[in-house]
Amino acid sequence: MLEDFENRVLPTKNKLFRFAFRLLGSSEEAKDVVQEVLIKVWNGRENLTAIQNIEAWCMRITKNLALDRLRSRQRRATNPIEAVAEIKNETLTPHERTEIHEHMQRITEMIAALPEKQRQVIHLRDVEGYSYNEICEILELDMNQVKVNLFRARNTVREKFVKINAYGL
Amino acid sequence: MPMDSKQVEQLLEKYWNCETSLEEERTLRDYFRGKVPENLSEVASLFQYFESQQQKEIVSADFDAQVKQQIRQHRPKGKVVNLTFALRIAAGLLVVMVATYFVRLEIRKSYSAEVADTYSDPQLALEETKKALLMLSKGFSKAQKEAGKLKVFNEAEQKIQGKVLDSESETEGQI
Repeated sequence: MLEDFENRVLPTKNKLFRFAFRLLGSSEEAKDVVQEVLIKVWNGRENLTAIQNIEAWCMRITKNLALDRLRSRQRRATNPIEAVAEIKNETLTPHERTEIHEHMQRITEMIAALPEKQRQVIHLRDVEGYSYNEICEILELDMNQVKVNLFRARNTVREKFVKINAYGL
Repeated sequence: MPMDSKQVEQLLEKYWNCETSLEEERTLRDYFRGKVPENLSEVASLFQYFESQQQKEIVSADFDAQVKQQIRQHRPKGKVVNLTFALRIAAGLLVVMVATYFVRLEIRKSYSAEVADTYSDPQLALEETKKALLMLSKGFSKAQKEAGKLKVFNEAEQKIQGKVLDSESETEGQI
């Protein structure tokens, strides 16, 4: 059983981490969430055989736990603006800050500023390359909602690009 | 297969409209990894951003070991939540119990004056009781005297009624 866990569940850890990080904007918290997810999956290992797509299942649990954290953080925060600023600063590692050019930083901010659902969908599709069906399964949304959110996310990015080109910002 | 800029533009248009397949999106990513025209540099950095994000990993060498260790000695976390829930109920009960205790204390205090003994010496208590009873009987005899006055009114009333009755019977007799 442990072997099965090591071969099928544990290798998803980086995908889970990236998704949790996208939602929380903090690598420490994202790591905690991934640990929580893995332990949760291990505790429910009896039901694991019934699940077809284990990776999508783990991603879904990650989403739920990360959102729980986000909600409790928002409940605690006296100033919600601070929380947003925190995400923006931490999305770039020191390495990225010096190495990667300005464009990249701007895009990071653009994506971070997207509404939560759009951010989730664009991450799952454009970063991780999941199919629409998998995204539906992970986010517990129907196909239409997934497509609408992806369209809005991509469209926001596109409009920003058009603006940048028009004003040469 | 290298694409010309027209193909790229078409594919990009499809991408913005969410009509590209995963395969086509991979093609775009591959394309933007290389050198691209100046007007597409922003879009190129978008796809480069996506790719760079996919390479992010957990920065922790002993992560797997930590997880495995936690798995071995794990106690379900649900119980912690249940405990806080139970604690909340216990706290609520405690508040009610303490409140009841104080309320009862207050009630007892307000009754205590009547219940408590006033005298410790039986002789003294007897004297006081006698005094009290005497006072009561004095009151009674006074009331009796006053009630005696009522008798005068009563008699007077009876006399008047008696006379009326007499005169009535007299007139009846005459008829």
